Amino acid sequence: MSAVQEALPAVRGSRDAIVRRFALTDAIFHGMTRAAAILVLVLLGGVAISLFAGSWQALSTFGFSFLTSESWNPVTEKFGALAPIYGTIVTSAIAILIAVPLGIGIAIFLTELCPRPLRRPIGMAVELLAGIPSIIYGIWGLFVLAPFLQTTIQPFIISVFHGIPGLNSLFAGPPYGIGLLTSSLILAIMVLPFITSITKDVFDTVPPVLKESAYGIGCTTWEVTRRVVIPYTRIGIMGGVMLGLGRALGETMAVTFVIGNAHRISTSLFAPATTISATIANEFTEAVGDLYTSSLVALGLILFVITFLILAIARYMLMRIDARTGA
Amino acid sequence: MSQMLSPDMTIATEAAAKVKIEVKNLNFYYGQSKALKDITLSLPERSVTAFIGPSGCGKSTLLRVFNRIYELYPKQTAEGQVLLDGQNVLDRSQDLNLLRTKIGMVFQKPTPFPMSIYENIAFGVRLYEKISKAEMDGRVEQALKRAALWNEVKDKLNASGLSLSGGQQQRLCIARTVAVKPEVILLDEPASALDPLSTAKIEELIDELQADYTIVIVTHNMQQAARVSKQTAFMYLGELVEFDKTEKIFTSPREKRTQDYITGRFG
Amino acid sequence: MSTASSLHTRRKTRNSVMMTLCVVAAGIGLAWLALILGALVYKGAAGLSFDVFTQMTPPPGDAGGLLNAIYGSVVMTVIAVIVGTPIGVLAGTYMAEYGRFSKLTTVVRFINDILLSAPSIIIGLFVYELMVRPMGHFSAIAGAVALAILVIPVVVRTTEDMLNLVPNALREAGTAIGAPRWVVIKSVAYRAALSGIVTGILLSIARISGETAPLLFTALNNQFWSSNLNAPMASLPVTIFQFALSPYEEWQQLAWTGALIITLTVLALSIVARSLTGRREDK
Repeated sequence: MSAVQEALPAVRGSRDAIVRRFALTDAIFHGMTRAAAILVLVLLGGVAISLFAGSWQALSTFGFSFLTSESWNPVTEKFGALAPIYGTIVTSAIAILIAVPLGIGIAIFLTELCPRPLRRPIGMAVELLAGIPSIIYGIWGLFVLAPFLQTTIQPFIISVFHGIPGLNSLFAGPPYGIGLLTSSLILAIMVLPFITSITKDVFDTVPPVLKESAYGIGCTTWEVTRRVVIPYTRIGIMGGVMLGLGRALGETMAVTFVIGNAHRISTSLFAPATTISATIANEFTEAVGDLYTSSLVALGLILFVITFLILAIARYMLMRIDARTGA
Repeated sequence: MSQMLSPDMTIATEAAAKVKIEVKNLNFYYGQSKALKDITLSLPERSVTAFIGPSGCGKSTLLRVFNRIYELYPKQTAEGQVLLDGQNVLDRSQDLNLLRTKIGMVFQKPTPFPMSIYENIAFGVRLYEKISKAEMDGRVEQALKRAALWNEVKDKLNASGLSLSGGQQQRLCIARTVAVKPEVILLDEPASALDPLSTAKIEELIDELQADYTIVIVTHNMQQAARVSKQTAFMYLGELVEFDKTEKIFTSPREKRTQDYITGRFG
Repeated sequence: MSTASSLHTRRKTRNSVMMTLCVVAAGIGLAWLALILGALVYKGAAGLSFDVFTQMTPPPGDAGGLLNAIYGSVVMTVIAVIVGTPIGVLAGTYMAEYGRFSKLTTVVRFINDILLSAPSIIIGLFVYELMVRPMGHFSAIAGAVALAILVIPVVVRTTEDMLNLVPNALREAGTAIGAPRWVVIKSVAYRAALSGIVTGILLSIARISGETAPLLFTALNNQFWSSNLNAPMASLPVTIFQFALSPYEEWQQLAWTGALIITLTVLALSIVARSLTGRREDK
């Protein structure tokens, strides 16, 4: 016993040195982790600043008309972002319109209908598919989907809607295969796994008691879903949709393959068009002249601002549902 | 509070015992809410003191002030004095790591580190001492023997600490604490997650360890307090209601609230 | 009575219709994805041969392989992971450990989540302005930096999440034995969260190995073998992009094969990553 007490004073002297070293190392490590955390902020700040600086020339040359002009002419150096903005918004909007019902349907299928042993594999498959690089979707769209649409679906739709005012301009020929609608379809399939997996996750946050009591008063599965599950998880689903929208807006490669890169606004969904990211991807390395490059960076800035807002709203919504479940 | 304490309460044990920890006018806050109210008491060296009381009475909080583990979390503050051998551990100049080598702690749930049994013990020793492999082997063996675990694990020292049973894990944690040669050992409900057999072993161990260490145990099991401790403090709603020799507390407490608690009338 | 039962029938019918639609949705989704993967395997496997891994990318109309592109992808990915992982792990460590309760952590978490889903082409533009323009030329190192910026948010997120799963009792135990904070983090928290952190790193590799947009105007491309980090370098995704859009059949075939290689790599990485954390959750 006394060995314990006697050993201590001998050790104590050297301990002071060790304690000082510990304090120093801890301060250094603390500083390093803090610096790394701040670097994350700096990165986003750096992105914003560099885009702003890079696009300054274009913005100061064209002013507000950069947003409203449709012309994109490298020869006369007249640049306007309206066509890419239009293409970006239209393709993303159609993609979301297709993907949201499908995604929610699949999420309902997975949480309510799917036989238990299949839930994990299918859920896992959905998550794995979310990780497949967009270029894969692009190459498939170019070589498989576009020719298929061009030879079968599009001629059929064009002929069906031919005489109907309104719809005939929306689906006007000729069938190129590539264009707005094809891009939208590709984007839809790309964001589908995201929307599905987030919807499924927020469905899982519904307290079982809530569902059980609804079933208890005789509700059908659909009624429970429609009246209990979806209202309860509305914010979370919206967050997932916004996240999907953010991805669709910024998606580059899948779209670049099949959009056709045409700087014009056409009423027809079959017409080739362009998006912000596809324009940048296609033209950046070939851009001659500072103003041309600067205009492309300005497109990037617009995309950055749009996606930043959408993603911020999405995260805010998802944070709110996290806070409610106490996660 | 101090006027409540009669002179014989502050020195609860035989006059010969030296005071190891002296708590003076201690207040503790979780943010705005006051969790400990003006606590004053003295713990004698090399004996077991038990803190009892209903959940939320502040007994664990008091324990967590002694080694200042509460400082891991924001908005928890202590006021007053906790003297370890006459030195205030709440002093800002007190080095926390050094304090914790002097005051070890064992928790409610066994917390083996995610490493081998051997490393679980060597880990703490290695922090402050540069010793040879042979010496370290000796220290590990000694600590495991001290915690009555050696015979069960001597053939699998390289197995993960997580592979042991709950009771063994808890003794590993005691061994780990003993290995760094502390002066005080704090036990925060060390047996509440264990089966009766493991509990008995832990209690036996506590009895042996008090020859060398000042031990403070928090428990809501009154029989356990009665079995293992020399003196007992009863706490209620952040106040120290009564502090005396264990037999006195359990046979003839002065306070009505203590009486009610030990006879099971509340809490 | 009869209205009640007809209402009941109507509700049941509606339920059946909606549930059928959900099954149809699942069917459409899965079939669609199966079509893509099927085409990928069918077209990609046709060109899979030894040459793909031993020959350089060919000039138009010639046979060849993807060696320089694969090499470039591996080199830039490795550099990106070496640069990005420590920053990501450290930042995640701050958020879960030192700064768990700080305001900075809340802000960083929000910004990091935005970086996580920010369009990768924007990161490409950023690195172009940051490195390519000042240096005056495209380079592999710029490509690697762009990829590193994509690695960081993934690793930050998983590191923070995994460290948050480490029970506080374990931290308290480490602290109670006299270990300073950084030792508790290094020897206890990291160890307990190891498989999760590795998962994050694998997922980040999976993410960047298919990224094309950020490389287009940083690393550019290179028809030839190059190991010079200060010069343009080929990569698998950019090569696929270029070859797929070309009119040459050999190039298009190589693009499909490259796409299959990338997909298999990404799927393998994701499956390994998920099985690592899957084991964890079962515990």
